This record gives sequence, structure tokens and C-alpha cells, in this order.
Amino acid sequence: MKGQFKKFAVALAASCATMGVPAMADNHADGSAGGPSMAELMNDANSTGDVLSYGMGPWQQRYSALNKVNTQTVRRLVPVYAASLGGEKQRGQESQPIVYDGTIYVTGSYSRLFAFDAKTGEKKWEYNARLPDGIMPCCDVVNRGAAIHGDKIIFATLDAHLVALNRNTGKVIWNKEVGDYKAGYSATAAPIIVKDMVITGNSGGEFGIVGAVQARDVNTGELIWNRPTIEGHMGSLRGQDNGITGKTNATWEGDLWKTGGGATWLGGTYDPGTNLLYFGTGNPAPWNSHLRPGDNLYTSSTLAIDADTGKIKWHYQTTPHDGWDFDGVNEFIPFDAKIGGKDMKLGAKADRNGYFYVLDRTNGKFIGAHKFVMQTTWADGIDQKTGRPNFTKDGRPGAPDGADKGKVVFSSPSFLGGKNWMPMAYSQDTGLFYVPSNDWGMDIWNEPIAYKKGAAYLGAGFTIKPIADDHIGALRAMNPKTGKIVWEYKNPAPLWGGVLSTGGNLVFTGTPEGYLKAFDAKTGQELWKFNTGSGVVGSPITWEDGGEQYVAVMSGWGGAVPLWGGEVAKTFKDISQGGSLWVFKLYNQ
Amino acid sequence: MTYGRRAFLGGLAASAGALALPRAATSAPLATVRELGALRFGLYQNNQPWSFEEDGKVVGIDADIARALAEHFGVRPDLALFPADEEVSDDLRNVVWRGGLLGFRKCDVMMHVPFDRTFAAREDQVVILAPYYRESFGAACASGMPECEGMPTEFRGKRLAAELDSIPDFYLIGNFGGILRSDVTHYTSGFDAVAAVKAGSADLAVATDAQIQSALSHAPGDGAKRRKGPLPAMLSPGWDVGIAVDEKSRSLGFAIEEQMDAMMADGRMTAIFAKYGVDWRPASAVAPVA
Repeated sequence: MKGQFKKFAVALAASCATMGVPAMADNHADGSAGGPSMAELMNDANSTGDVLSYGMGPWQQRYSALNKVNTQTVRRLVPVYAASLGGEKQRGQESQPIVYDGTIYVTGSYSRLFAFDAKTGEKKWEYNARLPDGIMPCCDVVNRGAAIHGDKIIFATLDAHLVALNRNTGKVIWNKEVGDYKAGYSATAAPIIVKDMVITGNSGGEFGIVGAVQARDVNTGELIWNRPTIEGHMGSLRGQDNGITGKTNATWEGDLWKTGGGATWLGGTYDPGTNLLYFGTGNPAPWNSHLRPGDNLYTSSTLAIDADTGKIKWHYQTTPHDGWDFDGVNEFIPFDAKIGGKDMKLGAKADRNGYFYVLDRTNGKFIGAHKFVMQTTWADGIDQKTGRPNFTKDGRPGAPDGADKGKVVFSSPSFLGGKNWMPMAYSQDTGLFYVPSNDWGMDIWNEPIAYKKGAAYLGAGFTIKPIADDHIGALRAMNPKTGKIVWEYKNPAPLWGGVLSTGGNLVFTGTPEGYLKAFDAKTGQELWKFNTGSGVVGSPITWEDGGEQYVAVMSGWGGAVPLWGGEVAKTFKDISQGGSLWVFKLYNQ
Repeated sequence: MTYGRRAFLGGLAASAGALALPRAATSAPLATVRELGALRFGLYQNNQPWSFEEDGKVVGIDADIARALAEHFGVRPDLALFPADEEVSDDLRNVVWRGGLLGFRKCDVMMHVPFDRTFAAREDQVVILAPYYRESFGAACASGMPECEGMPTEFRGKRLAAELDSIPDFYLIGNFGGILRSDVTHYTSGFDAVAAVKAGSADLAVATDAQIQSALSHAPGDGAKRRKGPLPAMLSPGWDVGIAVDEKSRSLGFAIEEQMDAMMADGRMTAIFAKYGVDWRPASAVAPVA
């Protein structure tokens, strides 16, 4: 009944607006017609009745204080419903749902967005982006989530568009091209909303693209500022030049900076206190590092960007002069902690390269870095003074000379990373980060018999392989102050889903084997699991409604892992595809 | 001169195991093509002179060969341009045996596939056959450039051009101790790199022979020439270019191969190449028979 009334009220508001009368049906003073306001979005981490943003708050700690589902009660957690995304379009479901006003909004593979009734799972509407058939996405057809603001629900599509839909009807409000898909640009990350701006990164599989962070007017999609991630490129603010990123040719030779890579394909986080956006950048191009001497700034880095001006305030490069495909895109999650008796404003990032970094989020100062995977062959620790890796002597893949295969180098982590896209969580109760990681390495060699665009090419051959007998995936609880691993849960298949921590002393994450699992946040003891019928590679959420706590996650196996077979594939060869939203709550007798 | 099928197949059978199976397979794929009345070709987009768009029309050497083949079989040519993925192996998946994830329909034939025994052995979902050209890398220079025939170290300080992320690129920026690296400007294709020399905005370009010949004859400007001597320390000795069909459509592949042999033998192939300024030369896998 409440839902019906709301719908009616919004329809009324819409018709009033067309007559030039201010919409009265809603009490948002800031004009966010019939939906969450900026203040509500910034308070998302504390509001337990909804999930309004990717990461559950601008810091994206993925923490909820809700505790009705806890270490004692979690064994009574049962499904309420499973809502199918339908059709033949299954593949990887890497999305995190949004929950607002009795509706769950969730994106699906193939650039789809669904609205489900949060109580019953009944579908309200579905939007299918019309994608050109000429796109060949590099790494599955995933999408990681939507952003909500006022009456709009906004998401990015595989053909590099940003689409704002009316959250009640699923009708398009605006649709902007943010990159040219023909030039290789794509988009899969969840946008974030800051100060009535939609902030996005970019992605692209094709060589030659340059990373950027962009801010757009949430009401129109018009570009406000653009900040390229590679030194030498000019930024813009409201149509005017806004200074060059870095210093041209400082860490790149020739014109390679023009096509230097550094895509920001995983999006970013935001700290309202410093007004800084934190975006990670991808690895440099070309892949052969011997062709591009220098640090290659700002690839494989975290950039702190002023939200108002789009200027870079600081940067920290996790893998200078990358030669292993170690993207630096991973989420930088702000948190506060006492270090040496002093209250510090910090941020943490678990990097593809296998190290967990803690930085001062106000200035990028290096605080510490510790290994969170079994093995890092490329570096022997991070220098505490300089914050730079201690590169190992023979850890860098060689330069191909075209003649022969050369020697096979074993490198760990593999290019899929100690941690890939899947976001970690931080618990304000335990003070621990929960890192979904993978222990795997790769054999890498020069491949003289390689072809690209129908022509001879010098490629690299590689085989990903497990480095332990009993697992690839490992969910690890890291103490950010000491770098110590407090506990770990080992999983046979690689972990590829996000993590959620709660005030119930629980940590949730999914597995490719199909389970959503709950662990004791302090000890790592597995307390509950439920098989969803396909691999879980999405990010779980929790909220409460009518005094009951709900947990939801997407199920649907896919992502980049199945593309790379080899020995690793044995761990997931029997997993079926899927595409469902699962919602759970406690069973009450 | 004819290109004898026997010798050609003998070479194949000796080299690529996957290609050496008996050719008694059913003719179903070819029959299907005839029934549907169309032969669908996958062509690289922006790959001048092989396949590219001009005034909204798909043109190029590969496009012309495809049209001639369709005409031979009495069907309509369906020319589908696709973007190159990271490696040809990915293209074979997208274009020949699986199709694109977002609706790109798989093609009956993919043109411009390297005909290489080691490569073919790794690609067990497709059959690679009908080698129709021998490609290699060379250079083009501004006609006033005296160092054109010299050692690459003499190119230092000149405006050098190459296609981004290609062997010509790696050759210039990676060899010779990297001394040429800061002189290299990158272009989106080898044709464009050579065209820049012809237009006077670069001094020397490294590209494929077909790109060089075609750009020298077709791109605007003048005063550019082809380097006669080979490039020292070039990273590739050249390769043969063929076609690929789905492993299950090998009979179609053989029928096409037969027709392409005929085109090579009677001069039609030479004429198609000549239209784009390129001297046709037979693949080295094809032994000419007198």
C-alpha cells in the first residue's frame, strides 16, 4: 500500500513539474526529487534501512552496524526469495545491489538494470541497454553496480555510456557517451555521487587508451571536469584547460605517454573530510616494460583528486615501472585509527601486486605495506623509508628479441593479482580489513610466434597456476596497524566476490563454488553457508526493514577468471552459469 | 604458372596436424551457404589496404577477394568489419568459432589470418588454410633522406613513424639501445605512418610491405620512396597470410581454397592487389609448379 501511494505521489510530482509548479510531493529541500539527497548519500554508512551507494558509504568500508544477524543467530539465516535476471544473458554477475524505499536496484551482465520489490522479489522494471554488436569486451560482460540520486538511478554500459534512469519507471532521463567504444573504451564500474556530480573512471581493453576520472552534472550528464591519469595530458574544468597532469616526459620517453594506459576501470572512493576522491590507475602500455624506461606516472598508482577542481592533490605509485600487469586500480578505503598513540586519517589498499598499503589519506604519505598473499616473487618487501618496492634481481620478465622463446620466468602473484577487482571490507568493531585474495603465480615467457591484427607480433605467453595444494582463494583478516594476518579462510577456487562486514561480528563473502558464506569476524570460523546454484562473484549487502535484517547478494559465475583456463580451471570447471539476486533473513518460528 | 594443390596440401599435411585430416568431410557448410545465399566474411576494421571503409563502403584487398569468392559461389557477400582484439587468437574466437558476446555473429570465413604451422597447431577450433600472400616488414622514407638505406642508428634525430604496439614500433623503440625511442611518433596504423612520410610530417616509417606500397601509391603527397635493403635486426622474417574457417566447416574452407588457387593462377589475385598499389607475391608455403 505504501509503495502504491509513493508511486502515485511521484507521478503527481512529475505532472506538476511539467506545469512549472515546484514538486510538493516530496520533502527534500535540496531538490532531489523523490529520492535520496546528497546528505543521505554521504550518511549511507550510518543509515541501516537502506544501501544507497557502492561500498555502503563514501568511504566504501562495506560495514554495517546491524547486529540482529550475528554469530549466534546466523545459523537461522534462510532465503526469502531468489529473483532471476532471466533470458539467455547470464555470465558474470559482479554487481552490488542498491536498496531504497522498498526497492532493490541491481545491475546485471550485458549492461542491464533491474528494479525488484525488496520484500517479495517481484520485478518492477528492467532496462536493457541497446549495445552495438561490434564491441568485443576483453573480460566478460560484467557490471559492478549503480548509483542512486534523487529520482535517478545511474549506471555505466559496456559501450562506454552513462545512463540515468527514472528510478520508478526505468525510463531514460539522460544518456551520455563517456568514451568511444570504437576506440576501445568501455565501462563496467559503479559510478559514485559526490556534490551532485557523478564521478566515474574509464576502461578499455585496447592498447592506446589513456585513463581519466570525470565528473558530470548528476541532473544532465554534462561534463564538469576531466582529469587524465597520465603525465602530459591536459585536464579540463567547465570547458577550460585546467593544467597538465604531472610533467610531460618526466617519467616517460618519446610520445609513449600519449598512449600510456592507466585506465581507472574500477571507479573510486571519496572522503568528505578532505574532499578528496581516490582513484586507482591501471598498468602502463605497452606490456613490454623494457620499451618504456621510467616510473611511467601515474600508472599503477592511487590518485587523490580534489572533488571541486579535478586537480591531483597527491599520488602514490604501488608498482613503479610495472612489468607484470599489476594494475593499481584497487579501492583505497579511508579509515581512522590510532598509530603510535596518535589519531590518524588513513586509507588502505590491497594491491594487485600482493601488498597491502596504508597511507595518510590527507597527503599520501606512506605509513606501511605488508604482503597479504603467500608469495611475491617480483619484490622483496616495500622500503619503509621510500615507500618503493625492493625489486628482486631476476623478477622482471625479459625483453623479447624476436628470435626465441627465452627462459620461462615464474612470477607471483599472477597477472590476475593477489587481489583483483573484488572489494575488501573494513570492520569498525574489529579494526580489521577483510581481503579477498588469491594465491597463484604464472609462468611467463616471450612468445616469438604471436600475431596481432593479422600481423606478426611479439607477445608474452603465460600459464597461471596454483602455488598451494589446498587452495587458490583466501579471505584474509589483516590488521592495518601491524600488517599481521589475524586469520585466513582458504577456498579451493579463486575468490572473485566482494566482502561485507557487520556489527554482528560477521564477515560475508561468496565463492565460485556457489556459496554465500558467513565467518566470525574475530576468528575466521565459518558459521554459515548457502549454495546459490551458481558462482558468487558479486558483493553482498545488508539492511533492515520492519525490524528485520536482510542480506542480499548476486549469484552468477563469470568474470575474468574463466577466460584463463589452465590448471586453475580445474577448480571451477563444473560450475554452471546463473543470474539471480538472492535475499536472506532470519527464520522466525 | 599454376599453384598445384597437391604440392600445397602436401606441405600442409606435413606441417600442421590439425590440417592434415582427410578432406572427405561433408559438404554441409557449403550447402548451407548456398541455401542461405550469403557468405559472411570477417574483415579487420581500419586495416588499410586490406579492409577499411571508404565513403561508407567496405573496400580493400581482402574485401575484393571476398566479393570475388562470393560471386564464384553465386551468393551475396556479407562483409563484417570487426575490431582487432589483443591477439589473433582472440579474433579467431570472436569471429570464427564462438562469435562476439554482444551479438557479433560468427563469420563463415575470416580473412587475413597468419598461416603459420606453430600458430595453427595451437588453434584447434579453426582450420587455417588458403595462404594467399607473403608479408614482411620494411621501411619508407622521405625521398630527400640520404640515410634511407643506412644503418638504423643513422635514423637518430629523424622524425620516425610506426603503428602503435606493433613490431615496427618495438623495432624502433626497443632496438639499438633505445637511442631512437624519443624520435618515434605513433600512428594508429602502418598505412597512416607511411602516409605521414608521404605528407612530409615524418622522415621514415617502418611498416608492412603492403602498407608501404599502398600508401606510397595512394596516400596524398609526394616525395617518398621505399627502402630497398632489408632492415637489419628486424624482429620478424615475414609470414604467410591465409584464411580461417570453423573446424566444423573445413569443406567450405577447401572449396574457397580451390577458388583462391584459381585466382592466383589466372592473374585475378595480382589484379586485385595491383588495384591497391601492392605487388602480389605468393605465400612461401605455396610451392609454385611450372
